[in-house]
Formats: sequence, structure tokens, C-alpha cells
Amino acid sequence: MGPITLILLVLLIGAILSLLTNTTAQARGVALVSSFSALALSIWMYLAYDANFDTVTHYAFEESGTWMPSIGIGYHVGVDGIGLPMVLLATIVCALCAVFSWTEGKRPNQFFALLLLMDMTLIGVFVSLDFFMFYVFWELTLLPMFFLIGIWGGPRKDYSAIKFLIYTHIASVLMMLGIFALYYFNGTASGTYTFDIPILLEAYRTGALPISQFWLDFIFVTIMFGFMVKMPSVPFHTWLPDAHVEAPTIGSIILAGVLLKMGGYGLFRVLLPMMGVASTWFIYLIALFGLMSIIYSPFAALAQKDLKKLVAFSSIGHMGFISLGVAASALAGMDPARIVAHTGAMFQMFSHGIITCVLFGACGVIEHHTHTRIIDDLGGLTKKMPKLAILMIAAFFASLGLPLCSGFVAEFGILSGSYGTLPIFVMLAAISIPFTAGYHLWAVQRTMFGPYNEYLGDIKEIKWFEFLPLAIWVIIFVILGILPEAWNPILSMMHTTADYFITSGNVLPIGGIHVAAGGAFPW
Amino acid sequence: MMDPNLTTIDFGLYAHWIVLLPMIGFLLELLIGKYTWRKGGMFATLSIFGSMIISYGCLYNIYVQGMPFYEYSWPWFYDGIVAGFTIDPLSLAMLCMVSFVSFFIHIYAIGYMAHDCAKSVYFAETALFTGSMFGLVLANNLLQLFIFWEMVGVCSYLLIGFWWHKPEAAAAGKKAWMSCSVGDCLFLLGIAIMYTIMVKQGITSEIISFNNIFQNLEHLSHETLFGMSALTLICILFMCGVLGKSAGFPLHVWIPDAMEGPTTVSALIHAATMVTAGVYLIARAFPIFLAAPNALMIVAFMGAFTALYASTLGLVVNDLKRIFAYSTISQLGYMIAILGCGAVLGVAAVAYALLHLVAHAFFKALLFLSSGSVLHGTSNTRDIKEMGGLLKGMPWTGYAMLAGALALIAFPFTAGYYSKDRIIEEAYLYAAVHHPGTLGYLPWVFLVLGVILTATYTFRAWYLAMTGDPKSHLAVHPHECDWWMRTTLIVLSFFAIFLGIITGGGTKFWNFLEKTFVTETQTATGAYPGLDIHEIAHFGGNTLLEHGVHHHIPAAVIYLPLFLMIAGLGIATAVYYKNRVDVSKYIKKDNPLYQILWNKYYLDYLFKDIIAEKIIMTVFTFWDVLDRYVIDGVVNLLSWITIQSGQVSRKLQTGVVQNYATAVIFGVSLLMILVMMIKGGM
Repeated sequence: MGPITLILLVLLIGAILSLLTNTTAQARGVALVSSFSALALSIWMYLAYDANFDTVTHYAFEESGTWMPSIGIGYHVGVDGIGLPMVLLATIVCALCAVFSWTEGKRPNQFFALLLLMDMTLIGVFVSLDFFMFYVFWELTLLPMFFLIGIWGGPRKDYSAIKFLIYTHIASVLMMLGIFALYYFNGTASGTYTFDIPILLEAYRTGALPISQFWLDFIFVTIMFGFMVKMPSVPFHTWLPDAHVEAPTIGSIILAGVLLKMGGYGLFRVLLPMMGVASTWFIYLIALFGLMSIIYSPFAALAQKDLKKLVAFSSIGHMGFISLGVAASALAGMDPARIVAHTGAMFQMFSHGIITCVLFGACGVIEHHTHTRIIDDLGGLTKKMPKLAILMIAAFFASLGLPLCSGFVAEFGILSGSYGTLPIFVMLAAISIPFTAGYHLWAVQRTMFGPYNEYLGDIKEIKWFEFLPLAIWVIIFVILGILPEAWNPILSMMHTTADYFITSGNVLPIGGIHVAAGGAFPW
Repeated sequence: MMDPNLTTIDFGLYAHWIVLLPMIGFLLELLIGKYTWRKGGMFATLSIFGSMIISYGCLYNIYVQGMPFYEYSWPWFYDGIVAGFTIDPLSLAMLCMVSFVSFFIHIYAIGYMAHDCAKSVYFAETALFTGSMFGLVLANNLLQLFIFWEMVGVCSYLLIGFWWHKPEAAAAGKKAWMSCSVGDCLFLLGIAIMYTIMVKQGITSEIISFNNIFQNLEHLSHETLFGMSALTLICILFMCGVLGKSAGFPLHVWIPDAMEGPTTVSALIHAATMVTAGVYLIARAFPIFLAAPNALMIVAFMGAFTALYASTLGLVVNDLKRIFAYSTISQLGYMIAILGCGAVLGVAAVAYALLHLVAHAFFKALLFLSSGSVLHGTSNTRDIKEMGGLLKGMPWTGYAMLAGALALIAFPFTAGYYSKDRIIEEAYLYAAVHHPGTLGYLPWVFLVLGVILTATYTFRAWYLAMTGDPKSHLAVHPHECDWWMRTTLIVLSFFAIFLGIITGGGTKFWNFLEKTFVTETQTATGAYPGLDIHEIAHFGGNTLLEHGVHHHIPAAVIYLPLFLMIAGLGIATAVYYKNRVDVSKYIKKDNPLYQILWNKYYLDYLFKDIIAEKIIMTVFTFWDVLDRYVIDGVVNLLSWITIQSGQVSRKLQTGVVQNYATAVIFGVSLLMILVMMIKGGM
């Protein structure tokens, strides 16, 4: 049994055991042991990554076995330089979330069980190399989140939970149609029916499928829709702010920190190899979705009165950078620049995952201590909560793209690397930067600075179990923003993988995808 | 006798510690500062003292011992982005000035901030501020410069809003960041374009290092974008960044509001660590500007216009610190203007700009710190209409401010006299040689007119504050500052007066600075040869003056600034000291000229009330409606249609998960069966 299976089992068993406990202390104990074991295992995987890396399949820690051979479903897992950082992200975030909910008193056994189950399903998505498993885990992530929102959520939790579930589920169903089409066409062509991701993508990429461009595009666009809703891209984003507003703090942290990354991960794992065969204007469509998100989010965020909703919109903008970077790096251009854009897009996945945890964590702390999140009701919180102020200001600056934080490294890579292939997109994206700065600073000014709003009463400073996870996340994003790449555990791994994706010819055509004259949008 | 071993120390090997020491000081202050001596300030001051020693050691190595200029770098992230450190005359001039001025401002702050309860946080932030400026100055590449450029910005945001409980301070910090941010996003875009066209040349290592760009200017000058030279576009984008950071028109609006911070912060921002960054960027990237057609012309006109524009505003403000704030904008305009004249003068323009920058740093730090002393001694009175007669109560402060004021108006033999009058002369030369048309004389005309206004508003402030009778009870018994603050005032006064004489009327300084770019730079792996600056000028269609050729400047032009300065001083003396003219009859609501100046040409109104509050607020309110009712409306409409259209779907609305799960499993099974049937049929 390899480490990946072990992580999944540890979390699953932890979830079951946690469900059987009676008190907060017991449930928390189980959750801490289980989630930190998973974290330790994923760190071990990182350390042993190079030794276990298979240069032929380009995956590490691969495990494969048959499951339902009659219809070609296998148990196939493995990670590469984009999957492993995502596993690390999920385990770091979930382990620290278990610390963050130290005193959770409402149905603690179920709460911690769902947290562990959430962690397991997310990791499952990031390690699956079989479309059936991928889809099952993809759908399973909805259930713990649905219950977290539906039971521990705010006043409009029912509406939000249902909207979240149905919206993302419809997208998943469309994605499933695409997967089944791929499965079916590959089966008819090769004679063996399989859900194995590398095999199916290889068949699609090399043109081994004897189908018309319409069906190729059909497969691409259905799967793309599933990912775009999950990311979420404007205009498919409306489930996200609603879900965040009603979700408990932990739910928001995992939702924004890790769950959204499933969409981005799909871009790298599934869509990227397909881009060379599907119609090229889809690449521009992905870039356009990214750009729309980048430009849309600051304007929408400026109008928000609820601090958490404002932060939710910031996620949409940051995820847009990923789409933009992936699309730009797929197009034909200068290789060094494309690799930088691609690495930047990958790094944005990890970086945003960490930064947004602190943002939502800080919102949660504020709500917990003051019982409100409405920005106008806050003010001068620095007076009562100076430690929270330091963490929150650090996170807000990281989120608006301050250098020496990881977000800047990612966004600089995306903007600089993409300019060569998508200049107009980059120019428009750059214009959004002052607006992004604007809503972040305005929010800080109104919540943290100015005279203290005495109506809030005598509020207490942030508690240690809230402070500790937030401080660790802050340290992570600062260190990742400063360290040279050779010492930067995440960036160096992603760079190698991006290099492989762009230049090897096994994923994208060598030199990138050429767009025939008139084959794309006018720009 | 000097220790013989000292001569063998190569301080440049420790150049990265110039940046790292203040960063360590920042961490120590933040974590344990409040438990140490005087509850903070020790680590910041000592760490900057350490940086100062290394900086002057480097200066000794290069200037006295004649060691070569060099740079070294370590890989940072992505391919070809490095953390690098350059030691050449340009960076040394900045390093020595920044470390010296910042060190003495820290000494002053030990006294000035003695009673502040968050002292350790203050010193942590100023240490980071100074350290970031060192990082910016030492940068050998555009991205590192940008990174520290933003760090300087964030420190200024935090320090301007240091007294966060005051709403004006919090708003001023945000305004500073927002104004800079408008420029910065364009600057970043310029870097992205530069990165792209450098990659296009096939360059894979140190892609956006300055020296690497300079070596490739010939190829880069052939690149075009949107029908114009790519380099010109890049330079215009850089210039936007400069306008934000160095407070050029129209992005200067944050400077007066930034006076909400502690006065020591104003001194740091105006003298050492922030606004000079923009000037330094143009100086550091000077060969790029030179090789870009028309770029320097824009620089010259924007700088000169800003110089005149800001000095008109200084005439009507009554806040002591804001008067000096406007004078900073104006003096930065002089520096930027002379850099623009580099289209004719070549590297000499950089030398002239840098001398004024250094001189300005001394006298402006002095002016702010002495006005800080005034605030300290009069219970935070900032309105010069409420001061008067302070010279008797606080002679140290009064005469220190006088020294700064004399240097600011370029009184003969002070530091400003050598630096500023040279700039004006060379601006005339620029027009006479380069632009025979009338338009070419505009920068010179602007700069000359600025002189008379500068003298008037500076001495208006000094006379109103220091002479005459006290105009409010707070000014009756001012108390003089303590010795921490006095030490700094004495040291800075000395340099404000004698800097020009020490540097041999500027000549030694200029000769040293003119070696930048044209002398080769050693690196760990080889050397970048010195640039042929005339050839680079040709890429941009500029023709430089031949070195050593004497150009006749009429005596009238040479002495004009001096006469205008005396005239301005005379006006100020007549009106505000001798009270010969009653100006109060002009200061009226119905005087349109006064109204325009008082409202700062309505730029604040345009930016805040019209653009920010009317246009952007309307847009985002509309945006919110779009989001809620159109995009989300479509979603909700679809779900409504689905719900209405069938019994099965209606159950979804109940929120019972079992129903939903059944539907999922049913759907999946259906599809599986379908696939199996198709498979069986094949």
C-alpha cells in the first residue's frame, strides 16, 4: 500500500472514529491525530518525491489495480508536480482547520468527521488517475460541504446549501457526459474500455479517436464547463458568494482555500493535454473567462457591505489569473515566457489557497468576537485586537499582490509570461490592480482603523487556537514569497512540471498551439 | 593612523547586508522591541548604523581606492529573475545619503516619539522602510526594484496611517497607496513588456537586469508596439510609476495628505526613503530612456511643469508641513526635468539630478524635522497663522529651519545654490541646443519661474512662524526640543549649508557620478563593458553635446535665478516681515485666482468627488445590480423554470438530500446502462 492510499485511509478511518465519539475533546483529538498524520504523510511524500518519481509515466507514488474490470474502472492514483502541492495544500489547510475549531460545540463529532471526510475527498480528486474515481471524489466533495453549510451555516443556509449543491452538480453532470463520451469513443476505437486518465488523454491528444471535430469539441467543452463552474469563473460564479456568506468559517476556508482549486487542477490535469486537438478558440474562451473574473471581481467587491462576501469576490479574481496563465501558456510563443506563465498559474493555485485561508479566518474571528461582519458596523478593531490586526493586514496586502508574499510571485509570473501571447488581455488585467488595491485597503480602513466603534462593546483579543493557524499561514505565504526558487519547495517542483508540460511535447504540442489566421477571436 | 588592514576590506562583498540588517532590525523591533531600551528604537537605529558603515565602506573602496564598479546576484525565482546588488557611483550616492539621513532621523525620533505607546511598531516600520529603500537602490534588475518599490509603498501606507485611530490618517494612508497604485500597475506592465521583448532577443539569464538591457538596447530599439517604439512605450509606462511615487502631476495629490503621519515619517518620505525612488528609477534606467525616441522630452516637460505647478500651490497653504510638502513636489520636478534634459546632456544630467537629490534630502529633512520640533514645542500647532515669534523661544529650531530654507531657495553658497542653479543653466542649454523653437524653452521658463515662487513661499512660512508677535496662546511659550532632536538638527544644518562647498561646488560629485554607465561593471563571471552613451543616444534619435565643448550661456541667464531668488525673498520680506503690503484683501472667496489655488486646481475634487465617488461608485453599484439580478437572476430563473416544469424537480426544492442522492444515482446508472448497451451493440 502506497502513501496515497494510506492518507486516504487514515482520513477515512479518522472520520468514522470521530463520528463515534461523544465530546468535543474526543472528536477534536481524533481529528487532530488523523489530519496531522495525513499532513506528516504528505510532507514525507514531498521529501521522497524525487526518489519515487517515474520518468516514464511522469507520476510519483503511482498505484494501480483493477476495480471493475468489466467496464474498465480501475484504482489508479499518483501525483506529479501539480498534484502533490495540492495534496500538501489540502492537508495543511485541513489540519490547521482542526486546530482552528478547537472549541466547536455544536455536534462536534459530526463536525470533525465532516472535516476529515472533506480532506479525504479533496485529496482523492488531486490524486485520481482514473476518471471514474476522479468523478466520484469530485461529487463526494459536495456532500461534506453541503452538510457543513446546511447544519453549521448562517440564517440563509438552506438556500445557499441547495444552490451550491445543485449549481455545481449540474456542472459535474455535464462534465460526466464529456467523460462518458471520451470513454465510449476510446473504447470503440481501441477495443478496450477504460476510464484511465493518462490513456484516455493520450488517445485524445494524439488524434487516435476517430470522431469528428464536433465530438472532440463536445468532450472538451463539457469538461471545461465543469471546471469553470467550480473555479468559479464569471459568469458562473454566483453560487460562491452565497455559499461563503452562509458557510461556517471552516467551511469557507476549505471552500476557498482548497475546493476551488479542483477546478484549476482540472485545467492542468485534464484540459491542458486536450487543448492541442480541440478548437483553438476555446483557449481564448478560457483566457476570456479568466480576464472577466479578474476585471469583474474588484468592482463587485467594492459594492459589498459584508466583509466575507468581499473576500469571496477576491477569490474569484485570483482564480481568474489561473485561467489566464494556463491559456496564455498553451498558445504558441516564446518557450521561456510560456513556462514562466505556466509556473505562475500553478503557483497561484497554492499561493491563493494559503492567503485566502487567513482572509476567511480573520473574517471568522471578527464575526465570532463582534457578532457582525457588516463592514460599516466595525471600525477601529486594532484597538481591541492588535494581533488580529497584524495578521489581517498582512493577509490583505498579500491578497492585493504585495511583493515578498507568494501571491506576487505567482501574479508577476502570469502577467509577464502571458504578455507575449495575449498582450491585450494582460493590459486589461493590469488595469484591475488599482481597483483590487482599492477594495482591500478600503475594507481595512473601515474595519481596522479609525475610531473604535463603542457599540461593539468590550471585545476580546483573538484566542490562541485562532491565532496559531492564521500565523502559520501568514508565515507560509511570506516564506514562499521570499525564498529563492531552489529552496522554495513548491515553486521548484511546479517549475519542473511546467517545463515538462510546455516543452516535452507529451502534453502540449512542442512550441505551443498555433492559431490559424482567423481561427481565433479578432484579437 | 589608519589600521593598514582596513584598506584591504572589500565592503562590497557585504553589500547585501545593507538590505538585510534593517530587515533584521524590523523583526527584532516587532517581536521584542517593546521590552528593550526606551521601549523600542534601539534595533532599528543600530541596524541602520550598520548599513551606513557598509555603505561608506563601499564609497571608500570605490572613490578613494579606485576599485572597479561591480554587481553580483543570486537566482531568485523563475528563469533569469535574480536578487542582485549593484555598487556604482549612482547607487553609492543614494546609499550614503539614505543611510546617513535615515540614521539621523532615527536619532531624532528617539526623542520625538519618546511618549508614543506603540514606539516599537513605529521603529519596526521605519527600519523596514529604510531597508526596502536600500533594496531598491541596490537592485540590479527591474523586478527587484519594483518589489522594493512596492515595499516602500506599503511602509509609507502603514506609517502615514500610524495614528490609525484618526480617520484622516487612515484615509491619507489609503490615498497614498491608491495614487501610487495607479502608477505602479502601469510600471509593472512596462516590466512585463520589457521582459517579453528581452526574451524575444533570446536572452535567458538575468533577463531584466539593467546592465543586460543596456547591452541589448540596439536590438530592443527596433521593436515596435502599436505603431510606436516599444522602448518609448515602456518608458512612458515607467514614467507613470515615477509620477505616482515621486509625486509628479497629476498623481501628486497624496503628498499633502501624507502629512497626517508623524513628522519624522514625513521627513523620511520626503528626504530619504520614498519620493526619491522615482527620480532614482529614471536615473538608473537612464540609458533606456535615452534610447527611446521622445521619452526624455516627456520627462523634461512633466518635470518642469510639476516644478512650477506645485510652487504656486505652496503660496496659499497655511499648514507649515504642507508648505514644505509642496516644495518637495516642486523640487522633485526640478530633478525630473534635468533628467529629461539628458537627451542633450547625457550622463551629466544624472549627475546634476543626483546632486540636487542629495542636497534636497539634507535640507528637506532639516525643514521637516525643525517643523516637527515646532509641532512638538507648541502642542501640535501646524497653522502658521497661529504661530509667530517662535525664534525667541526655540532658537535652535528657528535657525535650523532658516538654514534649511536658505538651502531650499538656493541662497548663494548653500547646498541648493550649487545644485539648483546648475539645473536651471543646463535646462537653458537644452533648449538652446536641442530645441531651437520656442517650445523647447518651456522647461527652462517653468523652472525659472519656480525660483521666485519658491523663495516667496518658503520665507512666507519662516517669517510667519518665527518672527513677529505670537498669534495664539500656544505660541507664547514654546519649549525647545531635547538633545536627541537637537543633534540631528545641527548635523543636518551643517550639510544643508556646506554640502556644496564640501563637494567643490558640486564638481567632485558630478565627476564621480558621470562615470556611471560609461565605465565597465565587474560581475562574478565577467564584466559588462562601459556603454557608448553617444551611440545609445542615436538609437533614440538624440544627439548629445560633445564632451568638453564649451557652450556659451549668456551671463544674464546665469544670474537670472539669483536675481529672481532675491526678488522672491524681497517680496516675502516686504509682505510678511515688514508688513508693507496687506495681502488679506486678496484672500477672499470672490478672488477666483485664490479660489483655484486654495482648492488645489480642483484636482482633489476631480479625483475624489467625481471619479472615485461619482463614477466608480455608480459603476460598482450598477455592477452589484448586474451581479445580483442579471447573472444570478438567470441562474435563479433557470432553477425556477426547472422547478415549475416537473414534479421530480420540485422535490429538489425541499432540501431533502436523499431525494437528490437518489436522482444522482438514478442518473448515473441510466448513463451506465446506456453505455453498456452501446458497447454491447458494437
